[in-house]
Amino acid sequence: MTYNGYKEVEHTADIALQIWAEDFPSLLKQAAKGFYSLVGIQFLEEKSLHQLFVIPNGNYESVLVDFLTELLYFVEEKSLYLSNFTFEDDQDQISVRSTAWKIKSRDREIKAVTYHNLYMRKTEKGFSTTVTFDV
Amino acid sequence: MNKITLSTFTKISDFEWEIPASFRSDMRVPVRVFASQTLLQDALKDNSIEQAVNASTLPGLVDAVMVMPDMHQGYGFPIGGVAATDLETGVISPGGIGYDINCGVRLLASRITLEEITPFISDLATVLNQICPSGVGVGSNKRLTNAELADVCIQGAKWAKNDFYTAEEDLHRTEDQGCLAGANPEKVSSRALDRGKNQLGTLGSGNHFIEVDLVSEIFDEVAARTMGLYPGEIVVQIHTGSRGFGHQICTDYVRRLQSAVAKYGIKLPDKQLVCAPIASEEGQNYLAAMRCAANYAFLNRQILANKIREAFEIVLAGRVDSWKLRQVYDIAHNIGKFERHSINGEKKMVCVHRKGATRAFGPGTDGLPLEYQDIGQPVLVPGSMGTSSWVLIGTETSMLRSFGSCCHGAGRVLSRSQAKRSVWGENLLKQLKQKGIDVRAGSMSGLAEEAPEAYKDVDQVVESVVGAGIARKVAVINPIIVLKG
Repeated sequence: MTYNGYKEVEHTADIALQIWAEDFPSLLKQAAKGFYSLVGIQFLEEKSLHQLFVIPNGNYESVLVDFLTELLYFVEEKSLYLSNFTFEDDQDQISVRSTAWKIKSRDREIKAVTYHNLYMRKTEKGFSTTVTFDV
Repeated sequence: MNKITLSTFTKISDFEWEIPASFRSDMRVPVRVFASQTLLQDALKDNSIEQAVNASTLPGLVDAVMVMPDMHQGYGFPIGGVAATDLETGVISPGGIGYDINCGVRLLASRITLEEITPFISDLATVLNQICPSGVGVGSNKRLTNAELADVCIQGAKWAKNDFYTAEEDLHRTEDQGCLAGANPEKVSSRALDRGKNQLGTLGSGNHFIEVDLVSEIFDEVAARTMGLYPGEIVVQIHTGSRGFGHQICTDYVRRLQSAVAKYGIKLPDKQLVCAPIASEEGQNYLAAMRCAANYAFLNRQILANKIREAFEIVLAGRVDSWKLRQVYDIAHNIGKFERHSINGEKKMVCVHRKGATRAFGPGTDGLPLEYQDIGQPVLVPGSMGTSSWVLIGTETSMLRSFGSCCHGAGRVLSRSQAKRSVWGENLLKQLKQKGIDVRAGSMSGLAEEAPEAYKDVDQVVESVVGAGIARKVAVINPIIVLKG
């Protein structure tokens, strides 16, 4: 059984997501799944396209926030749901390849991904963290 | 960190409490809380006070970090937080303003009575719902060009001054006349500009709303009459902000200022408190961009006000004596502004951060419209959905004790998931209907998240600010139509 997952945790005004995975790329993929689950995405399965984007390389927390912020932008501005991620780590930036589907509907508006109390923990099983979204 | 309990506080009065700067070694100023003991004890259940203590470590604070009784934990700063920094030695923090820059409330008053409007409530709710774009992912029917959006950033609410429904008094009855000086669209990212182009004149979702209310009780007849509020008559509240445009600007600068924190050697207990010296290039750039979003939000509420006027005309013209809606006031509750305040007995320009806190200028303060100079600034405090909202006024005490600031609403007590577990949206809709409230909502789960049980009792919040002397009661209003995104 793999050590990968996410769950929504209580936050008075906003929404927080606990995420854990055996390595950092897997954690990003779990974060994406959790994010889309919070947004309540339904997408049109028949059409897909390749989507490439880059995020600045940096510490784990910044990469996670930047990655989720990109996904949020694609939801809000392009109405695209992204999946099947692969990550290419260069010195200054991370190239993210993905498959994109057009969003049919969504339940929730998320304003932003925050750095609030964001710390990446390395554990014996891999990585875990809690990220808070402003809603 | 030392655990914060009631005994951590020095009691100043029944509604004012202070944590001394000696409580934690990195605090630079005290934390001052305006709340009854009951609300203060409730606040200790989440991290809002700890977040205020964290905020008290920021460089250049000129007095205590204040916290209002509707406080709840945010990210970095608590919601309900007020902090003022020195323009030369202090910092500006996007976290002290929030993602929804210039989220705020506008109140419109009418001379329509409940008796007159009752036969048309359902029709009015339907037309409002049709005319005012609201809900998740719902954009505007007009997409702005780059040049138009740049103009919006500079002009704010003035951009709509030639609109058929804009009234002459709208601008001067808006905080800062609906336009902050110093906005510069060149400091806004292309991504934020993209997001801003098709969201102008939209309500959004979450806790944003349009509400048609009845003035049910007057506490200060002179102030109420000055504002045009009369018992038994109809008013309208609009609660929204700068939409994705402001969210993206805050996101961009929280990211950009991470490096400024290291560059200027600022130590922070929480990354979300990220900031830059006001006098630095980074700080100035954020201020210029933030003001663009603030101006966008003033205009957003102006456009929605005009759509609401159009709906009133469609449904009520010829059926009531006058369908016209006059502006009472428009206020921001997520903003950072340069204001002149008394610091150690000396008038000084400082940067006031208000995050989930409303400006509440007392009588005679510069910047208030002539007609409000004698009574003070109207302070609009919406309650939770289906409950009362309050109209207050700022006081001399608010100028002395809270940088002319007051509470902004009821304040959450339940998380969104807790609210959804305890409330079923359809049942809530029925209950509100039984109370005579016509609710139009984009989603039932969204409605459940905003259930009254998820919020504090706004009456208790108001008793605290009135008890502390930072506001006075003018009127209480109750909903008859609620439009939620």
